[in-house]
Amino acid sequence: MMIRVRFHGRGGQGAKTASRILGTAAFNEGLNVQDSPVYGAERRGAPVAAFTRISDGEVLERGYVFDPDVVMVMDSTLLDNPTARPLDGIRRRGVLFVNSQTGSSFHGIQTARPDIRVATFDLTGEALSLVGKAVISSATAAAAARIIGLVTDGSLEKAIRSELEELGLNDELIEKNVTLGRKVFASLEPVELSTDEYFVRSGLVPFELIMGERTGTEEITSAGNSNAVKTGSWRIFKPIIDYNKCTACMVCFAYCPESALTLRGDYKPVIDEDNCKGCLICYRECPPKAITLEKEVREF
Amino acid sequence: MTVEQQTRFRTLKDIPTPDYMSPGGSLCAGCGGLLAVRLFHKVLGPNLVWVNAAGCLTVMVNYPYVPLKSNWLYTAFASAPAGAQGVRDAFDILIQKGKIPAEEDVKVVVLTGDGGAYDIGLQSTSGAMYRNLDFYYLCYDNQAYGNTGFQVSSATPIGSATATTPPTPSEPGGNMFKRKDLFEIWRAHKPPYIATLSSSFAVDFLRKVEKGSKMKGPKLFISLAGCPTGWGYDPRETIREEKLAVDTGIWPLKEAVNGEVKHTYLPRALKPVEEYLSTQARYEHLFRPTKRTEVIRMIQNDVNNYWKMVSKDENVEIRLVGE
Ligand code: SF4
Ligand code: SF4
Ligand code: SF4
Repeated sequence: MMIRVRFHGRGGQGAKTASRILGTAAFNEGLNVQDSPVYGAERRGAPVAAFTRISDGEVLERGYVFDPDVVMVMDSTLLDNPTARPLDGIRRRGVLFVNSQTGSSFHGIQTARPDIRVATFDLTGEALSLVGKAVISSATAAAAARIIGLVTDGSLEKAIRSELEELGLNDELIEKNVTLGRKVFASLEPVELSTDEYFVRSGLVPFELIMGERTGTEEITSAGNSNAVKTGSWRIFKPIIDYNKCTACMVCFAYCPESALTLRGDYKPVIDEDNCKGCLICYRECPPKAITLEKEVREF
Repeated sequence: MTVEQQTRFRTLKDIPTPDYMSPGGSLCAGCGGLLAVRLFHKVLGPNLVWVNAAGCLTVMVNYPYVPLKSNWLYTAFASAPAGAQGVRDAFDILIQKGKIPAEEDVKVVVLTGDGGAYDIGLQSTSGAMYRNLDFYYLCYDNQAYGNTGFQVSSATPIGSATATTPPTPSEPGGNMFKRKDLFEIWRAHKPPYIATLSSSFAVDFLRKVEKGSKMKGPKLFISLAGCPTGWGYDPRETIREEKLAVDTGIWPLKEAVNGEVKHTYLPRALKPVEEYLSTQARYEHLFRPTKRTEVIRMIQNDVNNYWKMVSKDENVEIRLVGE
């Protein structure tokens, strides 16, 4: 028996730590485990992946998990992200978990892959209320541990403690994460994993579902074309300008690192919602507090 | 002429409205280094060649997506100033031979992090200054090797934890080496213009770049670059963090015109360094589990000693902390 779990998150969400916590929790159960992350040159907010292999025998496989039994998607906007491609290769009757607050049933995915079992939970909302941060390493590990069903809550707790301690988190934060992990663990059900060796190469996932808009040559060769990347999906909160309160002081315009603000004719700023990364400097610095925040809710 | 008459930047509202960069690059949300590049670009206008040494900011480009609307040349860590020399010479020769019209000339700007400026590219910077190369040099100083996971550089301040200087039982204070004084290293080469910058003092920032642009020869700038990822603070705090660095006296804003140093912002009373240190995770070990008063005092003393010298040299009164 070997279970392969693949985590897809955005830098800063804790995908790597989630894979470690899951691995350590299974190890605490006496199983053999292996975990590893992979990320490109990009930063916080950019797609990252991590893997945990769990087995009652030796783990002789190495590297990227191309054929996961369980895929944990920590940010639903990654579902159609052409770099992350989280739907690739999921085994027949495998599990797709999506951190989502919309309660969506992910109909499009279920139509393309009726064999996949989809589970969802609002991990970010839970983390914000219990820990006060949108970091969901322990929450995601808890969800994965519950889904695969081989790990007890005791082993999970021990793993959360030891892994977060190693990262240097203070006791208060660790305890909050344990509470979060416990809550998530208790809220989900195990899924019977009877995946078989047959796995689907990406071709069977409809191209439109993963690629979104196409990129043409003209776009590739034009200067300043990075706005086609649409980093707006990195946001957790969206800044919203109240034009009645805005005094056109240009403070937000001066301080936005991303050049995501342009000025209207009356010098009041307009936010490029497709690309604003949600750093919230504009919100923090606006002198008359004319900018408010709204939590992002994204449908896939 | 007063300073006000020499500049087109009197208030924040004078900030040039065109942007020469697009959003959507790959850097962390709230990156102070990117903001410095954006402001620098605004002053110099669109006709630039950035010669970028390996580092965090090279990752703003993720092929085929490029935020810059200007030109960009990516060099190895050590050799950006050498690259700048090549670009400068090529343009000079082409214009001289009449192959391109003089109005197509560009400004050549080296862009490098502190790893490139203080460590790996120090000798080629020295060489370019020696040859009196007519170029700009912008170091975004986030005080460590941010690109590879925040390892110590010779710009890392005392007390900072980095990936390679974590607090340990034998070295509980984190990094125990003092930052190199790059400003003074540069000044020893006698270039026409050197300045320190912080985006949080945007008008000061814009004025200095403008001032440098009126001179021929090497014009070098070090900008503090608030780094939410490496320093460990919420991305929204980048401006606040940089401002605190200035108000505590940790990051002096100054310039040297033909070697003569003048501070462009003189805080009347310094804020305690503790106010700044306690907001960043890289200094957390100085406060928890036990307070490392001796390290904090050492940092404060260094700051006090610096401003004592400034008080004397520039004949101003500055209230220090704890004296
Ligand atoms: S949140 Fe950040 S990226 Fe978005 S507009 Fe405000 S300052 Fe710019
Ligand atoms: S900082 Fe606030 S008041 Fe000033 S321009 Fe921006 S939104 Fe308007
Ligand atoms: S690590 Fe720091 S300097 Fe590098 S991109 Fe991120 S915020 Fe900017």
